[in-house]
Amino acid sequence: MRGAVILVLLATRVASARPFDDFQGGSWLHYELAGLHGVGDARGSAGARDLVLAGFRLHGFVGTSSTIGFHVGLDAAAGGTLDAGGFAYDVALFPVGVSARFGRTGVITLGAGVGASGATGTLDDAVVLPLELNAELGGGRLRLLARARTSYVAGADSRQSAAPSIPFADELDAMVGLRVGRHFEDHGFPSGNGYFVGVSYRELAGTRFAGLVIGYSIDIATPREDRSRPPEDRYGCAACE
Amino acid sequence: MRAVVLLALPLVATGCIVAKQSLAMPGNDQTTVALLTGALGRPIDGIARHPWFAVRHKGETAWRVYEVGGSGTEADPFHQHPPYLEPILHAVWRGEPGERAAACIAKVAPGVKQQIERDYFFPGPNSNTFGDVVLRRCKLAASLPATSIGKDWRGLVGAGISSERTGVQLETPILGFKIGLREGIEIHVLHLSFGIDLWPPAIIVPLGPGRIGFADR
Repeated sequence: MRGAVILVLLATRVASARPFDDFQGGSWLHYELAGLHGVGDARGSAGARDLVLAGFRLHGFVGTSSTIGFHVGLDAAAGGTLDAGGFAYDVALFPVGVSARFGRTGVITLGAGVGASGATGTLDDAVVLPLELNAELGGGRLRLLARARTSYVAGADSRQSAAPSIPFADELDAMVGLRVGRHFEDHGFPSGNGYFVGVSYRELAGTRFAGLVIGYSIDIATPREDRSRPPEDRYGCAACE
Repeated sequence: MRAVVLLALPLVATGCIVAKQSLAMPGNDQTTVALLTGALGRPIDGIARHPWFAVRHKGETAWRVYEVGGSGTEADPFHQHPPYLEPILHAVWRGEPGERAAACIAKVAPGVKQQIERDYFFPGPNSNTFGDVVLRRCKLAASLPATSIGKDWRGLVGAGISSERTGVQLETPILGFKIGLREGIEIHVLHLSFGIDLWPPAIIVPLGPGRIGFADR
């Protein structure tokens, strides 16, 4: 792993004498605890009714533009089905995605990836192919956090076409929350952190779930700069000497 | 309803430590060794901490600090240890145990520090791995908090006695667990710790001071 990172860094360095001058981007991390309760069952199945998942979401974006970039992410959560007493998990890797930055620290990303999820006894294990839209907007004391994910399920017949609201995918997962926290400009990098609370909604195996999500969120980014301009225009004479 | 209750409890208690150890420096009438951690800089101050050992021999006024990325002497590493924020005192050894701890740390810490500073990486080995290794090699019964990410780094696969010396742990970079009388039960997912500490009682979370409940001691 370490060797791979070093190789990537060296390759980047070969390509440019000052490789990081051209890049700008950022990242965010969520620790989340979600509690969901089944509010409707379109199939009349005896699946899970109460689901609790704890996990993290680590996403990043990078590009040479001050607005458009590439996006990657990793979501991982584990927990249980309270009524069924089973272990539940939900992981997804998003190696392919795009991002668009707004304002000082706002960003919207769209990522595609692969994952796996299941719950012992109530939700068949399956490989999922998720498409996830994330929005992180606002850079002051308040920050809006939103996510919508549609997933296509490979295998697990019981989970096929199992999102009643959307005919084009097998599962739906959405969250919107509000973070109350702090914003920093330390060392010229806009960043922030804070606790958030939100509502969560899922359609899974024919059941509609609704619930609450609480968590902690961090974001940090490089300042948005038009790097197409020459350094003397961006930084003044000191940078070009 | 149960889910709501489960959610509400941590929300109410997040960041709370009951009976936190005082940061008042002990007198220099005995040799003292202290284990402290401080939060990393903003914005990751809520999720990552860094440890240091402060050692002061009997009669001395300055503290010798052992850590990765620093070391030297300081007048008050209990309250101010830049750039780290919000120090927490985790354990103190004084008198004869303090003498033994000081001697062992002086012998062991420089070599561990040198090796980790050469191989430094995330989630390990790093400064928290240094803290845990020194605790175990010197047989000092204490634990680093859950937000000391890297404390459980054992390489690709590792197993052994935990740093509090009443439990065992098995670790890989992806998953690990720790179980013991004083350690309680911890599950490690990508080096994020979740669990229950039996004594002093607390829920272990990878956030803030690393626990919700009574301070570890």
